[in-house]
Amino acid sequence: MEEQMAKIDLSNISHTYNPLDPKPTYALNPFSMTWENGKRYAILGPSGCGKTTMLNIVSGLVRPSKGEILFDETPVTDLKTEDRNIAQVFQFPVIYNTMTVYDNLAFPLRCREFTKEKIEERVKAVSDTLNLSSFLNSPARKLTADQKQLISLGRGLVREDVAAVLMDEPLTVIDPDLKFRLRRNLKEINEQYKTTLVYVTHDQNEAMTFAENIIVMDQGEIVQVGLPKDLFEKPKTTFVGYFIGSPAMNIFHSTVSSDHEVKINDTTIKTNSNLGNLKDKNVKLGIRSEFIELAEKEKSNTIKIKLTRVEDFGNFKLLTGKMGDLVIKSKVEREKPIPDGELNLYFPPEKCCVYSDEKLV
Amino acid sequence: MSKLYTFLKYFFITFWTVFVVAPFLWAVSTSFKDFQSVNSKVTYIPWLDFEPTLEGWRVLIKSPAKGGVDIVEPYFNSIFVTCTASLISIVLGTLAAYALSRFTFKAGFVRNNDITFFFISQRIMPPIVLSIPFFIFLSTIGLLDSLLGLVVVYIVLLMPIAVWIMVDFFNRVPKELDETALIDGCNPYQAFYKVVLPNSIPGLIVAGMFCIIFGWIDFFFAFILTFTEVQLLPVKVVALNSSITPWWSLSASALVSVAPLIIVAFIVERYLSKGNLSGALK
Repeated sequence: MEEQMAKIDLSNISHTYNPLDPKPTYALNPFSMTWENGKRYAILGPSGCGKTTMLNIVSGLVRPSKGEILFDETPVTDLKTEDRNIAQVFQFPVIYNTMTVYDNLAFPLRCREFTKEKIEERVKAVSDTLNLSSFLNSPARKLTADQKQLISLGRGLVREDVAAVLMDEPLTVIDPDLKFRLRRNLKEINEQYKTTLVYVTHDQNEAMTFAENIIVMDQGEIVQVGLPKDLFEKPKTTFVGYFIGSPAMNIFHSTVSSDHEVKINDTTIKTNSNLGNLKDKNVKLGIRSEFIELAEKEKSNTIKIKLTRVEDFGNFKLLTGKMGDLVIKSKVEREKPIPDGELNLYFPPEKCCVYSDEKLV
Repeated sequence: MSKLYTFLKYFFITFWTVFVVAPFLWAVSTSFKDFQSVNSKVTYIPWLDFEPTLEGWRVLIKSPAKGGVDIVEPYFNSIFVTCTASLISIVLGTLAAYALSRFTFKAGFVRNNDITFFFISQRIMPPIVLSIPFFIFLSTIGLLDSLLGLVVVYIVLLMPIAVWIMVDFFNRVPKELDETALIDGCNPYQAFYKVVLPNSIPGLIVAGMFCIIFGWIDFFFAFILTFTEVQLLPVKVVALNSSITPWWSLSASALVSVAPLIIVAFIVERYLSKGNLSGALK
């Protein structure tokens, strides 16, 4: 069964929903990507950025306007959905109302003509994982919304031979406690069966805790693919900086003053970026509020700010300060004493990211 | 205030019930009367006011040669025409509605909604407008005064109802359901009859109910498109009326005519009260 799982290649895929228009608008701009067998991916991005289109292209519900999809080097672009061996879970529970829970879970296997014993074994295994065992004989329509979503999820997981399980914000309707447990279950299933899982979400925490690889999308473009750590520490664009992390990355307009230095309102900040080609150009300096440190006194790479607000989040304090028009946010440990009025913030050079035309230098 | 509300509520319910049931009771009682009991004086209670007789019912099954009116054949004709036309309308209408709900059609300025409206427009026209074309059409293909001809005409009349109800119903079945079925391994036909159709049974029942009602009660086309060979029940019942109105057999035939609809209503009502049809009716 495991050898049926596949590496999925998306090669030069692009898609528009109005191909006959003289100037079509693209829901997905051309991109290429490979999903390795057995890995966990999260597709992260705001609503309408093309995440769902991408999933539908892989499952075959949408045929891409251009490009090719390959499962293990075999082109499947023209293969119908039912022949693709992909499981997909939608945002809202989709269940077969007229069937029992058992029949719902068995349906994908019955469609593929598995033996009765095999079906029974798989349904039992999946219903155990998802805590559905006690409902197997109830009509599926009588269950609560989150149980129904578990059924949808179960129908995706019940097939061992799937090339990938695609999930489109599947945990939206599930309450937080169960959400946490389910994410862990999904991880376990992935580790145990080596099923490739692709998980669409607009919730960065969900993406960060679930996936090994995160694909960040914006307006039909793939902006960055990488490990959660990379996305957090070295966002490739200002968009990723804004989108990932809470609060969003601090981003300041600045001018390059030397090979490694930028100027924000006359304060010089040293960075580790090589800025030789950008001398005197306008750039943006980005730094995570987590990396900004409180400094006892003014020194190099510090900025003097006027403290405007302190918010206590329990495990940390969020300081908001102003330098002229600039607003700076910094996360500090809860125990740290916060001086009133003015204070100095230290920007570690290795944590500073410089963006020219919104892209990381 | 609430007492007044309760009083008014029960008052109107009682009033409405009497309004609906009284004609039935009148018909039931009249159907057991003879000429004397109907025409001499006002009578209400059997055995006390009048002597009940089954004559009004008997003539319904007696052949005309023996002085009866024989509504048995028209009755079965009506059942055949209504059921066949309803069944075909539901099958074709459901398929058409599914297509209209799931696919986007484009032909010049014509879109899905225009096609749906085209179906319904057949019912918006006064029937008299259609009578001459239907007459010429049926006489051309030699189906005038035949059961098959009536079935064809009734399909034209009933299919819009089926399409209209089912389009609305399918539009409320999320398309993710079909997509899930495809992903689970059905081909599009299996997805339709294994998943979408079982979910649409309430809609089918409602559409079926309307088709049967409208097919069963039609008098106009049954009257215009048949002469001597074939007669449908509504035409036959109206034809009972002669120089002396036979109130007893007229009542009896009215009762047997509405009986099937009452049975349909009871079956559908059971579904309605179970909540299975919630959302199937606007």
